[in-house]
Amino acid sequence: MPTHRVSRTPTDVRSPPTKRYAAWAIALLLWAILGIATPDLDRMQRLAAERYGDSAAESVAAWRRMMADAADLDEEMQLARVNAFFNRRLRFVDDTVVWRQQDYWATPLEFMGKGAGDCEDFAIAKYITLRLLGIPDERLRLIYVRAQIGDPRSKLSQAHMVLGYYAEPSDEPLVLDNLISDIRRASRRTDLTPVFSFNSAGLWVGGASTSSADPTTRLSRWRDVLDRMRTEGL
Amino acid sequence: MSLIRQLWIAIIIVMSLAFGGSLVVSTLSARHYLEQQLYVKNVDNATSLALSLSQMPKDDVTVELQVAAQFDAGHYRLIRLTAPSGDIIVERAYDGGLTGAPEWFARLIPIDARAGIAQVQDGWHQYGTLTLESHSRYAYESLWTGTLQLLLWFFIGATLTGLLGTVLLKRITRPLDRVVEQAEAIGGRRFVTTDEPRTTEFRSVVRAMNLLSERVRAMLAEESQRLEKLRQQAQHDDLTGLLDRRQFMNLVDAALTRDDATTGGTLAMTRLGSLGALNQQLGRTDTDRLLCDIAAGFAAVAETHAGWEAGRLNATDFALLAVGDDDADQVAQLLARQLDAVHDHWRERTSLALPIGAAAYMANEDRAILLARADAALAAAELAGERAIHIARPKGYRPLHTDLHDWRRTILGAIDEHGIRLAAYPVVDSAGRLLHREAPMRLFIDGTWQSAGYFMPQAARLGLLPELDRAVLETAIAQVDREQRELGINLSVESLRDAGFRGSLFEQLQAHPEAANRLWIELPEYDVVRNLGEFRALCLALKPLGCRIGIEHVGRHFSRIGELHELGLDYVKTDASLTRGIESNGGNQNFLRGLCTVTHAIGLIVIAEGVCSDSERETLIGLGVDAFTGPGV
Repeated sequence: MPTHRVSRTPTDVRSPPTKRYAAWAIALLLWAILGIATPDLDRMQRLAAERYGDSAAESVAAWRRMMADAADLDEEMQLARVNAFFNRRLRFVDDTVVWRQQDYWATPLEFMGKGAGDCEDFAIAKYITLRLLGIPDERLRLIYVRAQIGDPRSKLSQAHMVLGYYAEPSDEPLVLDNLISDIRRASRRTDLTPVFSFNSAGLWVGGASTSSADPTTRLSRWRDVLDRMRTEGL
Repeated sequence: MSLIRQLWIAIIIVMSLAFGGSLVVSTLSARHYLEQQLYVKNVDNATSLALSLSQMPKDDVTVELQVAAQFDAGHYRLIRLTAPSGDIIVERAYDGGLTGAPEWFARLIPIDARAGIAQVQDGWHQYGTLTLESHSRYAYESLWTGTLQLLLWFFIGATLTGLLGTVLLKRITRPLDRVVEQAEAIGGRRFVTTDEPRTTEFRSVVRAMNLLSERVRAMLAEESQRLEKLRQQAQHDDLTGLLDRRQFMNLVDAALTRDDATTGGTLAMTRLGSLGALNQQLGRTDTDRLLCDIAAGFAAVAETHAGWEAGRLNATDFALLAVGDDDADQVAQLLARQLDAVHDHWRERTSLALPIGAAAYMANEDRAILLARADAALAAAELAGERAIHIARPKGYRPLHTDLHDWRRTILGAIDEHGIRLAAYPVVDSAGRLLHREAPMRLFIDGTWQSAGYFMPQAARLGLLPELDRAVLETAIAQVDREQRELGINLSVESLRDAGFRGSLFEQLQAHPEAANRLWIELPEYDVVRNLGEFRALCLALKPLGCRIGIEHVGRHFSRIGELHELGLDYVKTDASLTRGIESNGGNQNFLRGLCTVTHAIGLIVIAEGVCSDSERETLIGLGVDAFTGPGV
């Protein structure tokens, strides 16, 4: 499992100017040779402006600001910030409306670009953001749940997806859900019944390399969305 | 390295690159494809197993059964369920090695499919991480069979291309073979012409070589004609065209020292009586015509026999040298028949006195004695009458073996009993280096080793020469192999005409390539110009074997030598009659000088036969002769 590094700005480098330029030149060279090995959030912001206009670019900028603010917080605070950012800023709309498709897994860029998405889009965006903030993969799970609608005795339920956070592997997870604004322990979410969970273990994740030329990637929704994220700078 | 071999190597390299490249590319892309497929399978199977595990009760037996069922029914190398703590809950692994593909192949082209990983959930709690790897055995198998099949196609393709390439190359280079053949022929002094090939490049080469050959041929033809004129002027009587006295006497000298089948012979002379009276009676013009008629009679006899020569010794005396025929009576009869015709023709005008005197001679007889005997016979004939014939027998002439049957038995017996020996007469160049040694044969007959002249004429009459030549060849090859020195042997015209002999000569030389390189083989000019076809065949067959081929006794028929420019001769030996008295014979000097120039132009060595003195040798060196042989060497 490759560890993720938050990108650093040039000013972080404490070294004489000439050496700094040399280091930059080498970094640029490596970047050119190895391709995008680290998330390129500038590129993502630029793409947002090009594809979805200024408000989308503003969303991405806000998202980056949020990440910068949250970078030094502890994990629980980071969870709260990220959960709040997406739940407040983005609307919950069905895929059939946003994408005119039965089920579409959007990348964070597409999600922020459209300003709306359904439960998977929220879960994925939160998952990726937390990964970018440095939370390891083992602690995060995208969980398919059956959500009970209405009062606890209701027989009505629907397929839903939430993001689970496990501070310790044996712990009960914290559930990041777009249906409610705060983060709660799983035991308090009696309306949700977990069915299956997954994360990107063994798959691509921001910056880790797998062959994007691999045509089988497109056949899996999860791998496909990861792959598209990669082309968008993550 | 030959062009064809280089083309072949190029084809092989190109083929190997093409097929080898495609082999590597297709094997690698097949591997990539297999890796992708295995990975997809790993991921999917891991996910579905994790999904079903997530829905099940999590007691150990159920989980173990579930994993085992999946593992046993499927094609997996590893299924492992790891608890979040890192402990292994269940693991199933297949340890069996590879089958279907060799170990080295798997090492060379490893199939490295990533494992499929999925999470198993127990309610909200993490239960474990499932790692699943499919077995890559079948992938190796299919990769290995694919590679083998491709290799098979590679070999089939290479073989087909090779066969096709061979045919094509043969077609393309067929004209080249002819060009090379011609170039090699010209390199070996065989100035041949060939048809121009269609390929442009080859055509200009062949055209140039044809031009060269044609020029050589024209030069030879022109020069030999010029030399023939020179020789005529130097050696022949102006009025009758017969040899003049000096050249005739040179020939007599040469004939007396011969040591071959033409040893011994007859000198016949006739003298036209009372020339002064005839001059008055017939007038000068008609007298000249009469002299020409007599000369024509002599020439007619000479021309019908190999090596016979006719000459006019002085105003009234005519002579015939019948080499190799010591039956003086028969020679005189031949002459008499011709002279009878002259008698008849001039009967109306006048009566002629043309008595004939003839003397048989043996090898090494002194010329003065022979002439004295012939003169005496002529004088006796003059006394006897106008058409009288008188024969002078040599003193002590006593044939040892009277009839041919006896000779046959004697010669064959001598070969069987004592074998043959080869004499050795050195041939040296102007710096004194030994070129080769001429080796006439010796046979043990009548109690001593006899020189060729003793038995060769009889052997020739008996048709035994091919057998003698065969024996000489065998002895010569053995001797060259033993001594490692150059040896020259003569072949007879009978052997030349005998296709069987030519075949065995070729085989023997082919079997002894070392000896062939040191063998000089020669034939008399007279026989060569009369058997050009056979001689040509002999030259073409023997040249590649490395032996040297030459013509001996050259001079009389040099004008025909021009026709031999295609044969790749190595040397000519000029007749002893040209050597005799060369220091004072301006005509023969001119002729020899010209001969040397022409033969040198086509790369031949000129060797003078019958060199007796240092002064002759000095003169010959000045004329351009390369080497010498004879009593004085």
